[in-house]
Amino acid sequence: MGTMQTYENNQLHVEVDAAGPAVTMRFLGKSMLREPGEFLLPLLLKTLSEAIEGNKRIVLDFRDLAYMNSSTLTPVIKILERARVGKGEITLVYRKALKWQDISFSALVIFQTPDGRILIQGEG
Amino acid sequence: MESQLDLRVKADWSEMARVNEEAGEYLASCGLSAEAVQMYTMVVCELVENAIKYGNFVDEEDRIEVHVSVASPTISVQVTHHCRETGGAALRDLDRTVQWLRSYQAPFEAYVARMKAISREPLDAGKSGLGLARITYEGRALLDFYVDENSMLSVSAVSSLA
Repeated sequence: MGTMQTYENNQLHVEVDAAGPAVTMRFLGKSMLREPGEFLLPLLLKTLSEAIEGNKRIVLDFRDLAYMNSSTLTPVIKILERARVGKGEITLVYRKALKWQDISFSALVIFQTPDGRILIQGEG
Repeated sequence: MESQLDLRVKADWSEMARVNEEAGEYLASCGLSAEAVQMYTMVVCELVENAIKYGNFVDEEDRIEVHVSVASPTISVQVTHHCRETGGAALRDLDRTVQWLRSYQAPFEAYVARMKAISREPLDAGKSGLGLARITYEGRALLDFYVDENSMLSVSAVSSLA
């Protein structure tokens, strides 16, 4: 995995930065994916697999995402569950001050694990 | 204050960017807070997305009719389009989902239940079914639908302005 890669799908931009101790996926713009399995799920699965291989945590940073539809949330749910029951460490970060983000992402705490492998964090 | 927005939308996913933008601009022009604009834009978009996915668009001229009305203290969104076949699988699925959502006292519980169900589904499962749960939970809206004699399906979401 290179240090920084950018993926685009219409108005959604995803920056994947693997340079640090964690692999950070930063989501920007608007996500209006039609199918849950398109674009985002393969990217999340690939990143999770490579992060596990490199013994790194993934940080899913949604703080600068302006909008997402429900088909965007589905792959996120699936990757959290896959890591929860298997291998991998994921921290999901959202902007608590943005009400839609707080409502959408705070509910994902059901996937948190007591050992901190899966963390859902509202910031700012 | 009472105002409304009417949009005619092609059953083409590329229309979603326009729907998102025009709904947001209209809601902002009504003087709603940024939070409310985001919330109800989501409601409009989720309903239109469902219409594109599950509507019946045989004629090139077929369109999805979107009606958004802000009449304080209520906002209503209605999306109308041809349904595949009256009493067909898509309509039964919609009815089942609406009834299921109504069976929960708190929309949050339905939302979480749906998320848990999604997490157990195969990775390649095509349908999330999360959109309507999101409308009732995040949009705090009451969902309803009816089919008229011309097989036009109208799905509505009504909520008290945040």
